[in-house]
Amino acid sequence: MIEIKSITKRFPSITALDNVSLHIKEKEFFGLLGPNGAGKSTLMNLLIGYLDADEGEIFVDKEKVTRSSLNVRKKIGLVPQSIALYDDVSAYENLQIFGSLYGIKKNLLRAVIAENLNRVQLYERRKEIVKNFSGGMKRRLNIAASLLHNPKVLLCDEPTVGVDPQSRNAIFDYLLKLNEEGKTIIYTTHYMEEAERLCSRLAIIDFGKIISAGSVSELLKLLPYEQTILISKNKATAGKLDLFKLFGTLINEQENYELKPDSGIKLSGFFKALEDNNIDYGSIDINRPTLEALFLHLTGRRLRD
Amino acid sequence: MKTVLSLIKRDYILYWHDKPAVSLTFLVPIVLIYLFGSIFGGSNNTPTGIKLAFINNSDSKIAKKLESVLDTTKAFRLVKNYTDDKGNTVAFDTNSVKDYVKKGNAIAALVLPKDAFTDTSTSFRIKFYYDPKNEMEMQVVEGLLQQTIMSQMPNVFMASMQHKAETYLGMDKGMSFNRKIASLVSEYYGIDTAKILKWTTYNFSDSAMSDTSKSKANFFSDLLQLDKEQVVGKEINNPNATRSVGGWAMMFLLFALTGSSTSLFDDNKSGVILRILSAPVSRVHILWSKYLYNISLGCIQLAVLFLAGSVFFGVDIFSNVFNLILIIIAAAAASTAFGMLLASISKTAAQANGLGTFLILTMSAVGGAWFPTFILPPFVQVFSKFTIVYWSMEGFLDVLWRGANTAEILPYVGILLGIAAVVNVFSVWRFKKGNLF
Repeated sequence: MIEIKSITKRFPSITALDNVSLHIKEKEFFGLLGPNGAGKSTLMNLLIGYLDADEGEIFVDKEKVTRSSLNVRKKIGLVPQSIALYDDVSAYENLQIFGSLYGIKKNLLRAVIAENLNRVQLYERRKEIVKNFSGGMKRRLNIAASLLHNPKVLLCDEPTVGVDPQSRNAIFDYLLKLNEEGKTIIYTTHYMEEAERLCSRLAIIDFGKIISAGSVSELLKLLPYEQTILISKNKATAGKLDLFKLFGTLINEQENYELKPDSGIKLSGFFKALEDNNIDYGSIDINRPTLEALFLHLTGRRLRD
Repeated sequence: MKTVLSLIKRDYILYWHDKPAVSLTFLVPIVLIYLFGSIFGGSNNTPTGIKLAFINNSDSKIAKKLESVLDTTKAFRLVKNYTDDKGNTVAFDTNSVKDYVKKGNAIAALVLPKDAFTDTSTSFRIKFYYDPKNEMEMQVVEGLLQQTIMSQMPNVFMASMQHKAETYLGMDKGMSFNRKIASLVSEYYGIDTAKILKWTTYNFSDSAMSDTSKSKANFFSDLLQLDKEQVVGKEINNPNATRSVGGWAMMFLLFALTGSSTSLFDDNKSGVILRILSAPVSRVHILWSKYLYNISLGCIQLAVLFLAGSVFFGVDIFSNVFNLILIIIAAAAASTAFGMLLASISKTAAQANGLGTFLILTMSAVGGAWFPTFILPPFVQVFSKFTIVYWSMEGFLDVLWRGANTAEILPYVGILLGIAAVVNVFSVWRFKKGNLF
């Protein structure tokens, strides 16, 4: 569905994307995970034809995407990172303005607007000016404005920035539903929880390069351990740090120690050592590995550094 | 106190980083102070080189003297001939001089009639044909003319006064009065009495002698008798309103269109431009739509303001409405191009608006929106011709006053559209180079 072939994009002071290649299948919910400034938004801007690449090519549904190729944009919807709406006009008028850019006929546009407003639960508020909406409502309308032309591909550039958890969940559910209905979605985020929850496959991007790509389970296999062990900081564990280090790498976190077991270490051996040293199991928490840990493992940095 | 000082320091730091605010605080007022000071203040920048068509039909020495004075004074530039349709240089007669003014080739025509000043004259007669397009210009020209005559030819008035005394008081009393005045002047200023009296000839006609019914209150008035005749726009009401309506309309047109163009910055900042460009829309579409929208808005604004001028002050906009529309379209196109230029060369909306305010006020002042350009210092008048306001104002005034036809206003339309084309090409180039899109 989407072919990104050896894309390089340079700006005067930085190479934003460096030889990036990706293949995204039809109906896939694909994530781009990376810290701020990694090149996610630049890739989105190239995918929509807002920017031209210095090298490489992008194809969406076999059509080449460039700044001058307008037709392919009918197949793509973009949910920008910012709330790209007119504050002083109503929700309905906003959708009218943006829908008309796709050449949708008046009657059809009216129906499409009503449908999309209903789906984001804003139909009752359609006559209110956007300025008076909450952050979550604006975000929902921001998505609705990108779907009026019923695109095959939806590009979501961090669409939940600054949104409360409840609204975020509503947006996630809506996007998952759109994906179920057949839309191909590319979703950028620097929140690993979002990527893990939404994306069937994702690519980790840093300094303009794709570090790794695959399904979440495939990516997590890149870690040299299957889980991490959190050890509470208390009197019982304070003097046993050397013991823990026998089982892997111990990281001194603010509230606890994080143990990343060496390959081949079995949890049964670790628990036996706890019993032998009279350490209560309550001080121990076993965590499955995370994309955060993977990013740290791959780049030596945390996602939100 | 330390806290207050810290907060004051903060205000200065923020202020200094806000370049538009700095320019509006200092640069704009300095330029306007200079302009207004030059015009109305104490500097010696009186208008120079005002073009006057001129005929001297009088044989009197005084008329010849006046002609030579006007020829040499810097305030006026006399034109005594015109080029006819065959390319021949022909001396003006009364009809051709009127026509010359009607066509806007000179501000006014000055004709010294055969009887400009005779031995019996109680005042110096001048025939003045004028185009009231610029009422203020007329007042200044008239003032300058009187000033020139007063300062350069005092004898004319001395003689006129003596003639008046004899006319109003009768020959005997008048002569006696003149002699006493001459004696007093001679006593206090040491001037020879005969010299003071030498302009008086005493051989008045009967008609002059019998004109004793005139009010003695007029004794010191009418020494210079300007016989004015309006040659253009006699039927038009309220001449001053035409310039005011056109001038203010142009200034606010520029403000409105600059504001509209700089809204591109807001659209870019909010991500709306990105959203629009994610649709099947190109940057060229955006620029064209913005340009055409601004032109239409400008046309509507000017039309409404002229209509308001018509309702409030009786400015006649309907008798030459087609040509007025042509000028309105051209002015709106050029003003839109100006707004787009500002958007293309600025990095932020604040910068564009700050620069815009400065340029709009300056252009309005020097372009003739507030007052006629001829009263500006000569080098500023050169600059006037590089402003949209100047050509728009000339176009409006020609259409509304002179009833100029389409062929006559084509130069204005051409210049305005030419400015729009050149500025637009530059703006598009700047938009391509810049990062607004």
